[in-house]
Amino acid sequence: MHLLEVEGLTKRFGGLTAVNNVSFNVDEGEILGIIGPNGAGKTTLFNLMTGYMKPDSGKVRLNGEDVTGLSPDKIANKGLARTFQVVRPFRHLPTIANVLVALESPRGRRKIEYIRTPERKAMEMLEDVGLSEMMLEPAENLSFGDLKRLEIARAMALEPDLVLLDEPFGGLSPIETEYMVKSIQRMHLDGYTLAIVEHKLHALMQMVKTVLVMHNGEKIAEGTPEEIAKNDRVVEVYLGKAI
Amino acid sequence: MSVKYLRRAYVSFATHVYDVPPRMLAFLMFIALAILPLTQLNLTILERLTYANMIAILAVSWDLLVGRTGQISMGHALFWGVGAYSAALLFQYFGWPAWMTIPITMLVGVGIAVGIGIPCLRVKGPYLALVTMSLPLAVVGFLYYYPSAFHADTGIRLSALWPASFGWTGSFLANYYLSFALMAVSAVIIYKIATSKTGVVFVSLLDDELASKASGINVTKYKLLAFAISGLFGSLAGCVQGYFASSARPTAFDISLSIIPILVTILGGIGTIYGPLVGSYIYYLLYYYVFPPIIRWIAPSYAASVGVAGQQLVGFVIFLVIVIIFATRWPRGIARAIVDKLDDLQEAREIGEKK
Repeated sequence: MHLLEVEGLTKRFGGLTAVNNVSFNVDEGEILGIIGPNGAGKTTLFNLMTGYMKPDSGKVRLNGEDVTGLSPDKIANKGLARTFQVVRPFRHLPTIANVLVALESPRGRRKIEYIRTPERKAMEMLEDVGLSEMMLEPAENLSFGDLKRLEIARAMALEPDLVLLDEPFGGLSPIETEYMVKSIQRMHLDGYTLAIVEHKLHALMQMVKTVLVMHNGEKIAEGTPEEIAKNDRVVEVYLGKAI
Repeated sequence: MSVKYLRRAYVSFATHVYDVPPRMLAFLMFIALAILPLTQLNLTILERLTYANMIAILAVSWDLLVGRTGQISMGHALFWGVGAYSAALLFQYFGWPAWMTIPITMLVGVGIAVGIGIPCLRVKGPYLALVTMSLPLAVVGFLYYYPSAFHADTGIRLSALWPASFGWTGSFLANYYLSFALMAVSAVIIYKIATSKTGVVFVSLLDDELASKASGINVTKYKLLAFAISGLFGSLAGCVQGYFASSARPTAFDISLSIIPILVTILGGIGTIYGPLVGSYIYYLLYYYVFPPIIRWIAPSYAASVGVAGQQLVGFVIFLVIVIIFATRWPRGIARAIVDKLDDLQEAREIGEKK
């Protein structure tokens, strides 16, 4: 049994098929990269998997349990966490309170072991992403790079079985990207299973074991980074037909 | 860094982590309200302060729901009226005394609030505002439609709260201290809720519902909880004020009771909890003692023709317009903006002196 099974997921918006019969599996401990040109349907796929949209057909199974079409909070509580491409912090709350919200959810409360208080656990999560100093700062005062790290801290507070990262490197400077790569690799070493949608291929390809390529809502290739880089169809989709 | 320090610090709402001056202001205000009647036994002032106390409860209940949790209520008068009428009907048909009607009324308030909350989950934005605004009007229509049951033209009498031995002055004093006690208790409870983990989740609903869901929060549950708490205190306020006025009339659903919580909250600082409290007293100070003289000064003959009530009303409307115009400029409250400005001037003066 795979940790995540996506089977025949399809979503249509009127005449446009944004996601067309996409299937793939993710095993525990894996890092999966999902790439594709803009408009390929990657974020829609994430939205379908995490309950923000209902698929027209297909199934999503987490740990063998059918979670298709459940509401986002139920899916998060079952262990599938996500970050957002455009960061969504709780602006009026201090940084630490952003994490405390996640710890107030049913899963969050379970994951606070008895020796710790929510505040201590939240402090730890912030330390893990390097945001300890900004702990009491209102989230609206944080820089963009810090907000991206806060997104991750919030998702990790749920100690999810699978983390979906939606363009974690988007908008980051080279140094911040380096830091993010290290954070993600650390998460993987800690045993977390990750699926990452990303455009910055050089950063992504060095981290992931498997890559899934999407184009026009369809999965057109799946394999190791080396295989994908050599795949003619993938190159064509990104760079256009060779003359 | 101790966990206790953290707990106190993380709950702050506005842009400063510590909002000490307004809290101090609220504290001083409590003290002043507590001892005022002992210094000045003017029944008119007492009655007005009593009313202001009850409005303060209504306003803080509104602020928790709208300012803190980000829901919409343009018809908060509904709770006030439901409070008054629930108690009155229980008294009229079953003869229940106040200590029985008040708790039941609060439960009715919760029920109505949750009942409103459920459709509010689906409807959004201006449509939701319209729906909430029209509910109290619909109820008034309903009251007039069944005159024999609801006596809309005369109102329904409510039992006296205090025994006759209190006398005229005594019952006014007792009313005042009851209203003060209820205001203080309501303020503390709502403050504690707002600064608890639940309150933190409420703010997450205000800021970003989708992100809150992604964090595993059952958004529906918390929204309905916010409505329930708001309805509980709103109907408590209307109910007890009904007892103070000795009757429940359709005016208990008046639109001004929906507007005033909004007005005083913007005045004092939306989402701050202390804001609606401070704003209520500032507003009534202006309403009773500043608007009429100003209107009389600006347009003496018009003022004379409409009388004090008219002067108050015109003052209210003009003030409302002013507050709306300035509300977006000072989101943390106009009162706070004035305090901040004075702080800045003070600082500038100190810097000038150091040089």
